[in-house]
Amino acid sequence: MSLLETKDLTVRFGGLVAVDQVSLSVDEGETVGLIGPNGSGKTTLFNAITGLYPAAGGEVVFRGERLTGLETHVIARRGIARTFQSSRLCLQLSTFDNVLIGLYAHLRAGLWTALVRRARFLGEVRSALGTVRHLLELFNPDLVRRGFDRAGELPQIDRRRVEICRALASRPRLLLLDEPSAGMSPEETAELMKDLRVVREEMPGLSLIVIEHDMYVIEGVSQRVVAFNYGRKIAEGPFAAVAATEEVREAYLGREEASSA
Amino acid sequence: MLTVWAAEAGLFVLVVAALLAERPLALTATVAAVAAALALLRLHPGLRRTLSAAFAAHPRAAWFGGAVLALLLPVALRHSPYWTFVATMALLYVTIGQGLNFQIGSAGVINLAGAAFAGLGGYTVGLLTVTAGVPPALALLAGPVVAAAVGALLFVPILKTRGHYLALVTIAFVFIFNILVNNLEFTGGPQGIKNIPTLRLGGHAFTTPLSVLGLTLPYHANFYYAALAMAAVATLAVWRLHNSWLGLALNTLRDDEIAARCSGVPVARQKLIAFTVGNVVIGLGGAFYAVMVGFVSPPDFDFGYSLAMLSVIILGGVDSIGGIVLGACLLIPLPERFRFLHEYRLLLYGIVIVLMLLFRPGGLWPASVRRYGAGGAVSPR
Repeated sequence: MSLLETKDLTVRFGGLVAVDQVSLSVDEGETVGLIGPNGSGKTTLFNAITGLYPAAGGEVVFRGERLTGLETHVIARRGIARTFQSSRLCLQLSTFDNVLIGLYAHLRAGLWTALVRRARFLGEVRSALGTVRHLLELFNPDLVRRGFDRAGELPQIDRRRVEICRALASRPRLLLLDEPSAGMSPEETAELMKDLRVVREEMPGLSLIVIEHDMYVIEGVSQRVVAFNYGRKIAEGPFAAVAATEEVREAYLGREEASSA
Repeated sequence: MLTVWAAEAGLFVLVVAALLAERPLALTATVAAVAAALALLRLHPGLRRTLSAAFAAHPRAAWFGGAVLALLLPVALRHSPYWTFVATMALLYVTIGQGLNFQIGSAGVINLAGAAFAGLGGYTVGLLTVTAGVPPALALLAGPVVAAAVGALLFVPILKTRGHYLALVTIAFVFIFNILVNNLEFTGGPQGIKNIPTLRLGGHAFTTPLSVLGLTLPYHANFYYAALAMAAVATLAVWRLHNSWLGLALNTLRDDEIAARCSGVPVARQKLIAFTVGNVVIGLGGAFYAVMVGFVSPPDFDFGYSLAMLSVIILGGVDSIGGIVLGACLLIPLPERFRFLHEYRLLLYGIVIVLMLLFRPGGLWPASVRRYGAGGAVSPR
């Protein structure tokens, strides 16, 4: 049985159909690449899966359970984590805090514990920080040393890593990565590929959907590729096959008749 | 350790001198001394380093010294009931500021109705003691409960609006509160509620002079010590909440609500918790004010006081718990010290807000990153 399934999922903004009856499935441990021109509905699909946008039709089923209509924080707690196209770190907060918030669903100490039962609370702080350190260390040991520095003081690639750590901290079953290489140099993109491989090795059961424009990344990480255009799924399969599809070439390069006419 | 205590004692002497100096010569000397101390700190990085290293090395000694001096302040001010009262007011604003800062600073819930929530605490005390005959100590505890309960009226606007729009809603709330207490029969209308009975502690009425170490202190010292205890407890409680998972969730949703929701934070619930916790603390401050001055009336809780509370936060440092203490201790005595400023108090608060936002938006004591307490236990390795 697949981990995530969307059935005829549709998202509308007024008259615009941003996601048009998309059916998609992701298996456990699988990495799916999501490609398509700008505005083809890839990020909107993520927003619909995570409950940020309401679905106008169809449904999202995750581990056999319907997610459609649930609140975003509830969906996150069911095991779906994500990163964003443009960074959504809290730059004023420390690196540790930015990753700790990812652990939020697993933290037990409430107000009373924090106020009065100090030994118990500090015990939980220690173990939570231990988890965070371990995660940061996978990507860059330097991040642990700078854990109490503000996230705004980190270079771009480290911010992206912290964002991935935040998503991983929640121990998700499915991770949605929205253009992880956006705004990165080729060298940084190569680093990022290494990081994604580390994630794969650390968490073999984790499923991933990766939106990317960098075909080198898509080819390198995904087992299956899905192509989007105008909110519809236009092709699906191994990278080489999808890249060779007529419709995909048209979506990226334009129609041949049109250019020659 | 001696460095710490010497620095604290020096600060104490300066504070007492700044409050008590009356004759032109003494006043000039004090101003010069304060200016010299500030300049020395500013121009001498070595001294700054020595001091901060000393405070970091002996945190317990620093707390102990600070506590002793805070307890000694009424003794130093014993010939001036007035300044004892002003110091008490500053402590009251520390308490209220901590509550309001938890809403505005930590959670980004812009509440400009601080005066109304303090008023709810104050009026609760007035009504319960004078009309219903409840003992003042009990009424003092009921004040925060009522403030938090009435705060539930604003739950819907808090969830539906944000930023400036929420600020407007809360401004409207202060005015509604004022109009109501001004016009309702049972709140005493413009006269307010008079003759609120004072607190008693084991037979000692707070309106009788206090004897400490063989010295007789004005009765205001009773309230000073009570306000000191209240401010200390409120500050510690807010500090612990700020350094908890709640504080982390609030800061995250303040900076990026979508990131918080995608991390599993129930944003609506956490905002309401922060708002309610803040109102409890603000209501406590207002209730204490009522038992201290013995009467409450509408002008005691008008919008100007919301502005005063806001300027304490902005002067001290938004989301900075130490900053709130500093802000209240600077801003409340200032217009009392310079009487000509008193007339223009609102102008002063406005200017403070504008200047700070323009030139030092983090405040005099900017917020630092969260360390969750007990330094060594949670430092990186």
